[in-house]
Amino acid sequence: MTIQPEIRILVVDDESAIRRALRPPLVELGFQVSEASRGEEALQMLRAAVYDAVLLDVNMPGIGGVETLRRIRAFAPRLPILMLTVRDQEEEKVEALDLGADDYVTKPFSTRELIARIRAAVRRVKSPLRADDAPIEIGEIRLEPVRRLVTRRRQAVHLTRKEFDILHCLMSRAGRVVTYAKLLTAVWGADCREEVEYLRTFVRQLRKKIEDDPSNPQYLLTDVYVGYRFADAQMFQDAAETVGAENAEPDNAS
Amino acid sequence: MSGSSLPVRIVLGARRARGSGARLLLFTLECALGIVGVVLAAAVAHWSGWLVPIAVLLYLLIVIPIALFCGFWQALIVSLSAVVAHSILNAGEPHLHARANPATDPANSVTLLIFVLVALVVSRLSARVTGHAREAESWGSQMHDLYELSRRTLKMNLHEEPGPQLAELVHEIFELEAVAVFDADLHDVYQAGYWAVDPQEMAQNVYYFETSDDDAETGLGRRVVRLGAVPVGSLLVRGETSPLTNNAIASLIAITFDRYRAFANESRIETERRTEQLRATVLDSLAHAYKTPLTAIRAASTGLGEMGHLSAGQAELVGLIDEQTGLLSELTTRLLTTARLDAGEVAIVAAPVGVGAMIEEVLASLRDRLASMKVSIELQDENLILCCDRQLLVMLLTQYIDNACKYSIFGTTITLRVELVNKEVIFSVNSYGPIIPMADRDRIFDRYYRSSNYSNRAPGTGIGLSVAKRVALIHGGYVWVTSDEIEGTTFFAAIPAQELKRCS
Repeated sequence: MTIQPEIRILVVDDESAIRRALRPPLVELGFQVSEASRGEEALQMLRAAVYDAVLLDVNMPGIGGVETLRRIRAFAPRLPILMLTVRDQEEEKVEALDLGADDYVTKPFSTRELIARIRAAVRRVKSPLRADDAPIEIGEIRLEPVRRLVTRRRQAVHLTRKEFDILHCLMSRAGRVVTYAKLLTAVWGADCREEVEYLRTFVRQLRKKIEDDPSNPQYLLTDVYVGYRFADAQMFQDAAETVGAENAEPDNAS
Repeated sequence: MSGSSLPVRIVLGARRARGSGARLLLFTLECALGIVGVVLAAAVAHWSGWLVPIAVLLYLLIVIPIALFCGFWQALIVSLSAVVAHSILNAGEPHLHARANPATDPANSVTLLIFVLVALVVSRLSARVTGHAREAESWGSQMHDLYELSRRTLKMNLHEEPGPQLAELVHEIFELEAVAVFDADLHDVYQAGYWAVDPQEMAQNVYYFETSDDDAETGLGRRVVRLGAVPVGSLLVRGETSPLTNNAIASLIAITFDRYRAFANESRIETERRTEQLRATVLDSLAHAYKTPLTAIRAASTGLGEMGHLSAGQAELVGLIDEQTGLLSELTTRLLTTARLDAGEVAIVAAPVGVGAMIEEVLASLRDRLASMKVSIELQDENLILCCDRQLLVMLLTQYIDNACKYSIFGTTITLRVELVNKEVIFSVNSYGPIIPMADRDRIFDRYYRSSNYSNRAPGTGIGLSVAKRVALIHGGYVWVTSDEIEGTTFFAAIPAQELKRCS
């Protein structure tokens, strides 16, 4: 594993079994782990000390995960927060993402996937802020906002205006899930936030233009029932060797 | 036999000859009283030397009350007695009158004749009036009884069989000698009152031969109990009721039978629903309770793998734990979904769905499993839009394709086809694998059923296809399967293609 400064992480889950299962591998892999069993407790700890990331269970007694997230965001807008959710809680996932959660993992998750997601989230926050109109390059895809130009393997890809807007919105948030509503609002405006099927048609067209195999996308990934995610530059590099199987996890039909 | 009751008897028909001795005695007494009255009147008239018209008025005074209160025949006998008594008494001294007024003789006879005629007419009229009154009274009381019967049947306890309660009610309310009710559905005869012979066979015969009649001799009424045109039982009554009343009773019984069936049906459905709901709740909470330990196990096993320093054997065991946890987790999720589908908790969220995009999504989510398979997609219309619940339909297709993966022979192609036929979108997944026996083709869509051919071949829970069926049913569609060696096995799901306008 790469040597990097210790990441201070706060694990918030009411189930001690899950906290106990997470601590040893996280410590072993160079994380500094603190634990809280309730949202209220987590808020106190976050005010008292500095953390690099928070793992937050959605289902907790007391104020619960989503409300905890809301309160954390009030004083720590950039702190990476990962939600721990279960499969049939799509609404909570979307709510948490819309409230500013960085990512989510679905229980039962694999520790490898979890760690990859934490690292990606922390990396995004620590990387210097990129100018809005700076070119973005992920894998073989390069997008230049100023020229409204997209190239793949150095060849220009012809995109319609809306397709470009969608791609820009996703690539500028690479590695993060963008919920359907957010994406629709960003591209078409708030009136269209329910038109998911509309969006699917555009994404389908977009995949045909930028993916090698549109039915097995490498860049433009679907988070079923939640939204879309453009592969993170780092994750994309890892994808071939590791993440492939894990990414599929939330996609498995429920 | 009482003459005065004759009209009523005709109407009531079934009234049986009983207490005839007492009635004869009463009849005789009434006549005797009347005769004594007129003889006394005749004597008084004779000795007082009254003229015939005055005597006749006196006789009328006696005859009319008798006609009113006793009846026509009594009045007739009494008036004839009056004529006879008058004639006998006055015949003794005919000279007296003859001498006083010789012209009175024919006049007297005419007066007497008129008296007899008046008495007859009055008696007849009063008898008729009395008869009508009694008839009306009898109808009134029968109407009242019928009303009472319908009121009590409405209040009847429908948790128990209606037959015995009905027999008792009819017997009690109409004061009958005996009642028998045959319930064809439960195939049982219920009786109340005294039957000299067991009415069981007779009641069943009434039902089977559909004989409805009334026997005035025995007072026995037989009715087929019908619901609409369909016989549902029979009714036997012995006692004083009219044919119309019997018809009404039979109808009330039919309605009660029907209410009982509807009630029983309703409570059966309700019970089933509750059981299903309870089962779903138990499954739901079980599945949720499983999630936490599963998460801990998976986090721990994958954590072990991440920490490294494992020997090859250790790593393999950790991998096995991880893999099995995955299976267990998938199973839990499926159980949860089925439970919810069964409990009707899954509200269908219909929206226009692009079939092409949906299929791509399904295949993408299964790409690990499909990696070693050949899959071909035949989409009749690239831009086909279907109004359905996307999440549920994805579940159905995933299940079909997953199933095809499990059972198809390595190297064969799985074909996914979508066609629009007669306003139905038909999804089909064709694969080559073991043939599904004819007897199993319906049952494989039942929960927990696994084809006997397959039991040892593939991992699975026997839940998936029942989910597929539920999903199709919820959409107003249906599922079926064909299987033979040449065409392979094809699972179909037909979903009605509704007008998109009606889609939210």
